[in-house]
Amino acid sequence: MTDASVAKTVKEIVIRIVRKPDLNFSPEATFKDFEADSLDVVQILVAIEDHYDIEIDDDELQNVQNMGGFLAYVESKIAEKG
Amino acid sequence: MSLEGKVALVTGGSRGIGRVIALKLADEGADVIINYFRKKSSAQSTCDEIRAKGVRAHAIRANVGEPDKIDAMFDEIKSGFGRLDIFINNAASGVPRPALELDEKSWDWTMDINARAFLLCAQRAAKLMPNGGKMVSISSLGSRMVMPVYTSVGVSKAALEALTRYLAIELAPMNICVNGVCASAVETEALQLYVKDPSLPKPAWRTTPAGRMVKPEDIASVVSFLCQEESSMIRGQIIVIDGGFSLSPSGFTPEGGLHES
Repeated sequence: MTDASVAKTVKEIVIRIVRKPDLNFSPEATFKDFEADSLDVVQILVAIEDHYDIEIDDDELQNVQNMGGFLAYVESKIAEKG
Repeated sequence: MSLEGKVALVTGGSRGIGRVIALKLADEGADVIINYFRKKSSAQSTCDEIRAKGVRAHAIRANVGEPDKIDAMFDEIKSGFGRLDIFINNAASGVPRPALELDEKSWDWTMDINARAFLLCAQRAAKLMPNGGKMVSISSLGSRMVMPVYTSVGVSKAALEALTRYLAIELAPMNICVNGVCASAVETEALQLYVKDPSLPKPAWRTTPAGRMVKPEDIASVVSFLCQEESSMIRGQIIVIDGGFSLSPSGFTPEGGLHES
């Protein structure tokens, strides 16, 4: 179960950067499904880091399979910050 | 310590070559501001290392590819330090693709961070150097030699070097010395991204007539020299730091052998 406000914010950031207002932001979706290239992903990560003042570790992201996992990861980083 | 009391900014200063340059300037007594893009923990760690040398350290997060972030960074420097004596344009990025596979976004990303940022930062830095100062750009051999998948970075570094020469002349009346250093492959995290590409001729990256790869410390020493008063008659030059590699790209040595570190 993910935090609805985090999911909403992350979705808004992804939509803004990949410029696809109607993308299907399901837990199973991947950045590849959104046709996000490597620069898009970097910009998405930076925007999320800026918004929540967290640090996303690229190595840790290697274990994330989809948006569901990504949201859970972002929430864990927000929780770590306290 | 020859840079005691000076205030230095190193873009991309939290890791790799930038970190070593920041530490070298701190060794020489300068207070050091490091700009970083994403790794806050690395920036904090580098700041701790700088402070341990008895000087001030400050980290500012900014993507130097974005003009408004550059403005915010210099606003913060102005309010926190009041002036700047040394500006090291080190931050760099790139998309490793051959020319025919480069899209507009990748090109702009690379040029904005590697070349345009030097112009925008230099414009702001110069205003914080009322009594003169030093600027050093960090380039690479890709500016003049063709390397696989290095197209956008190589072109951006060529622009960076040309801009270094223009700034050197235009800022000379303000007593601001502008120079650059151009290094061959340096063993850093960034290089690992390129070394993973199987098309790269790995032995060539690791071979120099001097018998070893260039280390970040080799670059930091030259950058430090270019920040000293003693080097003030060097203007608009790009100092090549490559152990002789660019003069002998096949790895030829007087003994006729190849070195590999």
